[in-house]
Amino acid sequence: MYDVVIIGSGPAGYVAAIRASQLGLKTACIEKSFDASGKAQLGGTCLNVGCIPSKALLDSSHRYSDALNHLADHGIEVAPPKLDIPKMMARKDQIVSQLTTGVSGLFKANKVTSIFGSAKVLNASQIEVSLNGEVETIETKNIVIASGSSPINIPVAPIDQKNIVDSTGALEFTAVPKKLGIIGAGVIGLELGSVWARLGAEVTVLEAMDDFLPMADQKISKDVFREFNKQGLNINLGCKVTSAKPGTKNVQVSFDTKEGSSEATFDKLIVAVGRKPNTENLLGEDSGLSLDERGFIPVNEVCETSVKNIWAVGDVVRGPMLAHKASEEGIMVVERIAGKHAEMHYDLVPSVIYTHPEVAWVGKNEAELTEAGIEFQSGSFPFAASGRALASGESTGFVKVIADKKTDTILGVHAFGPSAADIVQQGVVAMEFGASAEDLGLTIFSHPTVSEALHEAAMAVNGKAIHIGNRKK
Amino acid sequence: MATEIKSPTFPESVADGTIANWVKQEGEAVKQDEVIAEIETDKVVLEVVAPFDGMISKILKPAGEIVLSAELIAQFEQQGAVQETTKEPVIESNQPTETPSNTTSTSSSDVVKENGPATKKLLKEHNLEASEVSGSGKDGRVTKADVVNHLEESISAAPAPIPTAKIVQSAPQTGAASDRHEERVPMSRLRSTIAKRLLAVKQETAMLTTFNEVDLQPIKDLRAKFGKDFEAEHGVKLGFMGFFVLAAVHALKKFPVVNASIDGNDIVYHGYQDIGVAVSTDRGLVVPVIRDADNLGLADVEKSILDYSIKAKDGKLSMADMDGGTFTISNGGVFGSLLSTPILNAPQTAILGMHTIQDRPVARNGEVVIRPMMYLAMSYDHRLLDGKEAVAFLIAIKDQLESPEKLLLNI
Repeated sequence: MYDVVIIGSGPAGYVAAIRASQLGLKTACIEKSFDASGKAQLGGTCLNVGCIPSKALLDSSHRYSDALNHLADHGIEVAPPKLDIPKMMARKDQIVSQLTTGVSGLFKANKVTSIFGSAKVLNASQIEVSLNGEVETIETKNIVIASGSSPINIPVAPIDQKNIVDSTGALEFTAVPKKLGIIGAGVIGLELGSVWARLGAEVTVLEAMDDFLPMADQKISKDVFREFNKQGLNINLGCKVTSAKPGTKNVQVSFDTKEGSSEATFDKLIVAVGRKPNTENLLGEDSGLSLDERGFIPVNEVCETSVKNIWAVGDVVRGPMLAHKASEEGIMVVERIAGKHAEMHYDLVPSVIYTHPEVAWVGKNEAELTEAGIEFQSGSFPFAASGRALASGESTGFVKVIADKKTDTILGVHAFGPSAADIVQQGVVAMEFGASAEDLGLTIFSHPTVSEALHEAAMAVNGKAIHIGNRKK
Repeated sequence: MATEIKSPTFPESVADGTIANWVKQEGEAVKQDEVIAEIETDKVVLEVVAPFDGMISKILKPAGEIVLSAELIAQFEQQGAVQETTKEPVIESNQPTETPSNTTSTSSSDVVKENGPATKKLLKEHNLEASEVSGSGKDGRVTKADVVNHLEESISAAPAPIPTAKIVQSAPQTGAASDRHEERVPMSRLRSTIAKRLLAVKQETAMLTTFNEVDLQPIKDLRAKFGKDFEAEHGVKLGFMGFFVLAAVHALKKFPVVNASIDGNDIVYHGYQDIGVAVSTDRGLVVPVIRDADNLGLADVEKSILDYSIKAKDGKLSMADMDGGTFTISNGGVFGSLLSTPILNAPQTAILGMHTIQDRPVARNGEVVIRPMMYLAMSYDHRLLDGKEAVAFLIAIKDQLESPEKLLLNI
């Protein structure tokens, strides 16, 4: 009998398992994925086909693009750099393998039992695990469902992982496609588009919605749109794909725009329209759990399901499908199982798009605050006025701090530019402590750093920025 | 190397204290064992001394701030270490430095709740203490928003400002009323504790008072006859108080429930008689405790009363002197009180009130005689004591006092 059995070893599951074991709970973690060699594959989407491999390729492609386009600006002449895509992929695979092996090592060190196979929740204390036809029932006092999510398949563009691929296939191209189509201008589409555009693909992004990055600050969305088009991502809004016909060597895509129907031919087509929770065949008839209309497991704010002692975290529940949100939920749940007090601040889950420059934000944006009727003041600072950003040749973008008009409490931090994710992270720490814009203004920032833009933006909230003119209030 | 200075460990009965003042300031040189700060508790002023030669590098709890038992109040820099840090943080010296073994430094596991810079600034600007604002941040930290809201509320709410640590004089009105002076001063810590305690006792106990009177002629006779000898022998005057303490001890032994106290749903019977004697001082009423009074003779009791009153006058009573007590005697007679109802000294169950001695006509064997009489009042907690026991207890004291020779025979 286990104290906790966790279904899924992604960033929600493996983190929860390690913490559960640290808390003295007898813990097991079930994973159903196997790699090409038939070995179990821990780490979930994030480590295997998500955050980590995409960042490996984003970094490699950025270096290539830098060598190709920007080294000369620094007075460094190099022979045109040559691409070795198989080597680039091998490097990525090596990083993935290192990290997944690392998870397995952490499990051993923390005495977490790894169980391989597909899990089905029978009831609050029993899980059926099947592996190659063999079925085993595991008894436990608590169940944490952390089964993750998968790319959504759309009927108009069925994935074949050859010419029409999802985000997983897009990390496995063996050559740079000459013409690349991407359905969806969300975070995943933009990151993958960036990778292949930098490596030389002619990228066309087809987005059904009329708004670009609607969840981000409006000014940032506008600047990002302009910048990415400049970088060679041809982003088309309001384009509804009606069909995608794979040929032997390419894909014929038809789509409707406001102007009428249109067609395009791509060597490869990436479908990145979103992700759906992995809840198929997960729940037994007598589990007592039911799914909502979109396949998610309904939970309350502390991830309790409708059945006592069954919990669900990460991509299978409401909220953004982000690794750091999933990990925090995993920790919260096992802490609660161990009888401790734990909760999450869902308002303070930061979002990042790992393009170059990066886009990141936390908290509310101006449009949301206006709609909620909350009075605010905001302050911005452009990287073009940052000494360090200029020295690095990374002066695109800005940082914006939004604070409550009366109390000065920081309500949102938004950044587009160099190290935007790390800059916003500083805002997250401050916001966790209920900081005001003045608090950041009164904090010493090292000079010269790009983080100084956060300092200046915070001071700008109260019209006190030093290195730019302040707006008259 | 900085050492942490903590407030002394208070006894259980003392919840917290206030930094009365910093005798030494940051950066001022001090010698080992020199007093650097005074902490006022509801019972006594405690002194904080320097652990070794050096200086206070940082005062963390300014005067007026409330501190808990063993709370970090300052950082201390040992002499020698001071210069080293200003130079280079290298080798201390080639001979082993003697670190005094009695350093007060302890592991700093306590969470120091540092508020953000904007919060601190705003508090200073409005002369507020962080403790006056309820914090909504992590671990109860005060955020700038908390202060802003607090300020807004205090403007809209309180018509009369609540005094903090300063004397607020009402603005003198012009014209005829200008001599109608009014002054508002904050209660001293001792006063506010007394106020709180007394009110709590009134509200939380079923207190009532029984009265009697005692003829002190026999004791007066005894004092007239042996007073001089007693003083010569013991070096202390033969007063009335000693007789009262011993009479009370005797009665308490007879009625152990009077010596007991209520703790939650339990009755705690104390197997010893610790008698508190209320003493009035400039700062207020204090109650030093004569411990194990059942083991003491008349002279011992008189001596310890004398010791305590000298200490009380000099403000030197220690926390240990006043902690505990199972029964209290209060003497309103010294101020001329004829009759009063004393208030219990919680969690004790009874208190005896002595009053002024008055020559009064009383009936003795069918005749009116003049006797030195004193009214006795005993307030008691009716939750624990029934009227019968309380009355009998007081009569036992009266009997003992009217026949002091009983002390000799232990009856």
